[in-house]
Parts: sequence; C-alpha cells; structure tokens
Amino acid sequence: MAQAVAEERDLTMSRAMVEAIAAEMHEDEEVFVMGEDIADYGGIFGSAQGLREEFGYDRVMDVPIAETSFIGAGVGAAQAGMRPIVELMFVDFFGVAMDQIYNNMAKNTYMSGGSFSVPMVLMTAVGGTYNDAAQHSQTLYGTFAHLPGMKVVVPSNAYDAKGLMHNAIRDDDPVVYMFHKRLMGLGWMPSPDGPKTGVPEEPYTIPFGEAEVKREGDDATVVTLGLHVHRALDAAEELAGDGIEAEVIDLRTLTPLDTDTILESVRKTGRLVVVDEDYRSFGLTGEIVAVAAEDALADLEAVKRVAMPDVPIPYSRPLEQEVNPDADNIVTAVRDIQ
Amino acid sequence: MSGDRVAVDTAAVWPDDVDAEEGVVVNWFAREGRSVDEGETLCEIQVEKVSVDVPAPATGELVEIVLGEDDEFVKGDTLAWILPS
Repeated sequence: MAQAVAEERDLTMSRAMVEAIAAEMHEDEEVFVMGEDIADYGGIFGSAQGLREEFGYDRVMDVPIAETSFIGAGVGAAQAGMRPIVELMFVDFFGVAMDQIYNNMAKNTYMSGGSFSVPMVLMTAVGGTYNDAAQHSQTLYGTFAHLPGMKVVVPSNAYDAKGLMHNAIRDDDPVVYMFHKRLMGLGWMPSPDGPKTGVPEEPYTIPFGEAEVKREGDDATVVTLGLHVHRALDAAEELAGDGIEAEVIDLRTLTPLDTDTILESVRKTGRLVVVDEDYRSFGLTGEIVAVAAEDALADLEAVKRVAMPDVPIPYSRPLEQEVNPDADNIVTAVRDIQ
Repeated sequence: MSGDRVAVDTAAVWPDDVDAEEGVVVNWFAREGRSVDEGETLCEIQVEKVSVDVPAPATGELVEIVLGEDDEFVKGDTLAWILPS
C-alpha cells in the first residue's frame, strides 16, 4: 500500500537530488554540502533547496567565489574521512580550479599509493538553451570523462537523479555529478516533459556504468545523455510515424561507460547516431563511434554524429537554437543513414 | 459530496511581500487519486518570480486537480480539491 502511494508521487530532478542528499546527511554525519549560493539561496538551480533550513550552516555552507579554495577544501575534507558534496555553480567555471579537480581530486588516491580515498562529489550545472552565452552554457562532458580518476554521471530524469546521487555520495572515489539546468524543473527555466518522474520516497541506488534503453527499435541506435535523451525520444516518436524504429540509449554514466549496451544495440541495428550537447571534436560522439568501430565493425553500416559545432556557444537566441542539436536534427541524421 | 471537499486555496499560501494578484502553476507532485497527508507538498506555484510550495490543507484523497501545470490563476482561485478521510 505504502509503495503504491509512493509511486504516485512525482518529483522534479532538483527535488530528487535534494531528497537523496538529505537522506545521506541524516544517515551519515560526515556528509556535508558547500558551494556558492548553496546555503541561503539553496543553489541557483535548486540543487540544495531547503538543506540549510534542515541541517544548519555547519553542514550546508556558502563559500566565497574562490573555486580553487573550496574545491581544494573538499578534497582535503574527503581525504580526512568526510564525504563532501561540493557544487561548482557552472561547469564552465572549472578552469580556475583545474589543478584541484584534475591533479588532486582525481589523482590523490593514486599519488598516495592508496593511502587516501577521496569520497567527494563535485556536482555541477551544465548546458545551454537559455541564452547565457559561451561562458555559462557548456556541457563539457568530454572534458571530465577524458581524464582517469573520476567517475562521471549525467542524470536525465528525477528517478535516475536520486539513485545516482545516493550512489555518488556512498562511492569511495571522486564522482563528478553533472546536472542539466533545463532538466531541474525550475519555474524560471521550464523543463520539457519527461524529467519529472515518479520517485520512491525510500533511498535506492542506480549502479554506475549501466546505460538504459529508453526506447527499443531495430532500425537505428541513438546514443545520448542528459537533456538530449528527451529530444531523442521526441525524434524517435516522429520517426516511428514514418516506420523507422530508433532505439534510444541514455548513457547515464560516462565513466565507467556501459559499452556492452551500446555494442548490443549497434549489432542489432547496424546504424549509430550519437547525439551530444558537448562540442563535436575530440569528444563524446567520437568516443562512442570509436567504441562501436573497434568492437562491432562488421555489424556497422553507417554512423552519424549530432553535436554542438566547434564554436563558442552564441548568446543570440536564434543562433544558439541553430547550434544546439534539436529533435529535427536527430530525425534528419537517422533518416540520412537509413 | 462536493460540500465535504476541502479546497487547496491559492490565497492561503500567497507570499506576503508581493503586489501581484496573478500566479502560475509550475509543478504538480501529486496525481489525482493520491492519498495525501496534511502538510505534504502538493504542487509548486510561482507568484512574481517567487516560488511557493503548496501544502495539503487536509489528509485525504486528492480527488480533483483544477489548475494544471502552466495554468495561470488569480489570488483566491482553487488549485485542487481534497476529500478528507
């Protein structure tokens, strides 16, 4: 009975994330949250809404605009046995703290010969579609997934957001948790239909390295993540009207990458379209295509990449809409390789 | 039976410090037919950029959602009806 009621409750992605963080904070006093505008504001994209009211300033901390300092503090706290969740307000700001992220958070376990673990979650807002220009609209999935030492997760909906957050906090290794602003369910940035889902009230985990087949099809494999899962599903719906059945795969985790699910689908369909909001060159789309080419070459008839062109993301609304892949671009790509 | 139903009233949760008399429904977290507890967040509304969580005014069944997501309303409009248990 209780479970039936729980299934009827829907949450936005931001509220699902907060629910997971709050549950872990109740369970383990070593879990705490810090970041810019986290405590009093609740995170500018709602990722910590209400936590300060529930847990107080000692465990939910605002920090100065000094990413190197507070991300470094997170690494230190994690090495000392705590479980910090540190928010990098926009992923675009990672540059000033690159040494702390790439050389310390990602590598201290290795550099210390395993003497330290770094059980830290770096959560960060990604993505565009709301005219915030080139320094506040990037996704940078490839930048973080490229470097060994960190696990990288990208939820596309509230159910996954909660399960992945529980897993991220409990993981003894550093995890980069990249949430798309457009999926959070905020009043001032409305989400598409899809990311708000039923969410069980009890804690649960979604294991890293497990992609999800969101829609089955035999004619083409569409591999994507984050916001573009929803655009790919819209595209698949339209293609189905023409008798083309696209299989849509939500990666959910970039590191570790679920190559088995990708390969199984590609062996079935023979046609691969990879859709990414990150830049086209040297990134996720090329990586997925390479995985398919290395291990399923004989089954592969055609591949297509649909990604952000290699340009700084425009501020102008029509220009940003032009460069950010939409459902029509995905439909065209799938049709092109039939 | 409708006389027994309890209205989820927008005026009851109106933010104090805004002049606006109109708002918009941002998110519903409960679906029709759900058994709700008094105080549980049913939905989120926005009035002049202020987001407000709307709690259930009574324990019972959410029998009717009157204003759906993206619907606009004026202060005092009914969001939904609860049949108390």
